[in-house]
Amino acid sequence: MDNQIVDLYLSNPKVKADWEAFLTSLNITNFSANEVDQIDYTIGIYNGDDLVATGSVAGNVLKYIGVCNKGVTTGSRFNAIVSELVNRQFAQHVYHLFVFTKLKYSESFQHIGFSELAHSDEAAFLETGSPDVHDFLAEIPRVDGQDDKQVAGIVMNANPFTRGHRYLVEQAASQNDLVYVFVVNTDASLFTTAERFQLVKDGTADLDNVIVVNGGDYMVSYATFPAYFLASPNQAVTYQTTLDARIFRNVIAPALNIKARYVGSEPLSRTTNIYNEVLKRELPPAVEVKVIDRNQALTSDQQVITATQVRQLIKNGETSSLAALVPETTASFIQHHLTTLQKRIQEGMNIDGN
Amino acid sequence: MEIKDTAVAGTLESSDIQIMISKAADGIQIDLQSDVEKQFGDQIRQVITTTLNNLGINAAKVKAVDKGALDCVIKARTIAAAQRASQTTDQPAWEVL
Repeated sequence: MDNQIVDLYLSNPKVKADWEAFLTSLNITNFSANEVDQIDYTIGIYNGDDLVATGSVAGNVLKYIGVCNKGVTTGSRFNAIVSELVNRQFAQHVYHLFVFTKLKYSESFQHIGFSELAHSDEAAFLETGSPDVHDFLAEIPRVDGQDDKQVAGIVMNANPFTRGHRYLVEQAASQNDLVYVFVVNTDASLFTTAERFQLVKDGTADLDNVIVVNGGDYMVSYATFPAYFLASPNQAVTYQTTLDARIFRNVIAPALNIKARYVGSEPLSRTTNIYNEVLKRELPPAVEVKVIDRNQALTSDQQVITATQVRQLIKNGETSSLAALVPETTASFIQHHLTTLQKRIQEGMNIDGN
Repeated sequence: MEIKDTAVAGTLESSDIQIMISKAADGIQIDLQSDVEKQFGDQIRQVITTTLNNLGINAAKVKAVDKGALDCVIKARTIAAAQRASQTTDQPAWEVL
């Protein structure tokens, strides 16, 4: 039996066709460009001329793992493929890995050191390596007597932090003892993660019961919720947000005693609107979902505030109109970095998404 | 020896053990996963702890995924991971073996 692991170069049409045919035979059939283009590299095992096992990596996520166990000890090829992927990632100093898989394979991954973060009826989401979710939670600042306090959470990308975001945080802060604002960690927006984080911090500095935290890989990240960053069909959005919501409900909220999650109503964004619906379905009764009506935070000429508009103004250089949409802190940041931001847009940064 | 970085040695294949070592404030914490945990869990932890202590490491976070490794393998993988994590692979600690 030949168990040599080889690199598969999907840029070769013949290799790609074999790879797709093999995965299709195992019921993995989503080869949309969205997914396949994310792959950093792919490995496989051949038995003679036949592909019998394969796996890929995209960033810190393992993908497209498929194994045929015919004629060998069950699990041996699976272990070989996953070992190789894990070791290659570790060699590149990526020590924290995720996998999305069908629920029935969750156990196979748990068998080789992965731990499950959440699962739905069809899918499971697991992680391995370090720092893991316990390390992430241990790093989050806490206050004295937190277990007896009323604590709320908000997750936002804040690209950039607007008066709408500010209104949402103010509402939560006035109704709770403590509010965690988790800023999306994935760096795929016009404003970088560090900039977004700092603007949220600056924009909420006067609210002393608000703690701003990086959401890490666990809240609306590229790992848990890729559809937030890539246009995707509704079904994919629902499926990913279900897992995202369950991680929040099962892992994040209990550790911090979060009993409510605040979200803004979403009349304008399809993806975020589905996300809100899923949160309403998944979080209660453990965590209450409070939808804050966006129409309460209007500009003086009665417009709903969106970060999308702000980015449009940046593109057009209309900084004089910013004051109505964003707090002073964000406006001054934009004034000072206008050319850098416009350059990013010129270089192809998409500003119409989230 | 001091742990400076996260490092790994070993694989997830049968008869091997994968050991990941990272920094910790104090003490050696071992998170072990093994099919023979019931029979040999304590023994495996003991081998890892002793090996680390012999290397002069008293604080480390260890994640071990065991696939039925023998003691000599556990020891070898622990030394390799510890030397990588402490960036001392250019001075092999032969005396620990």
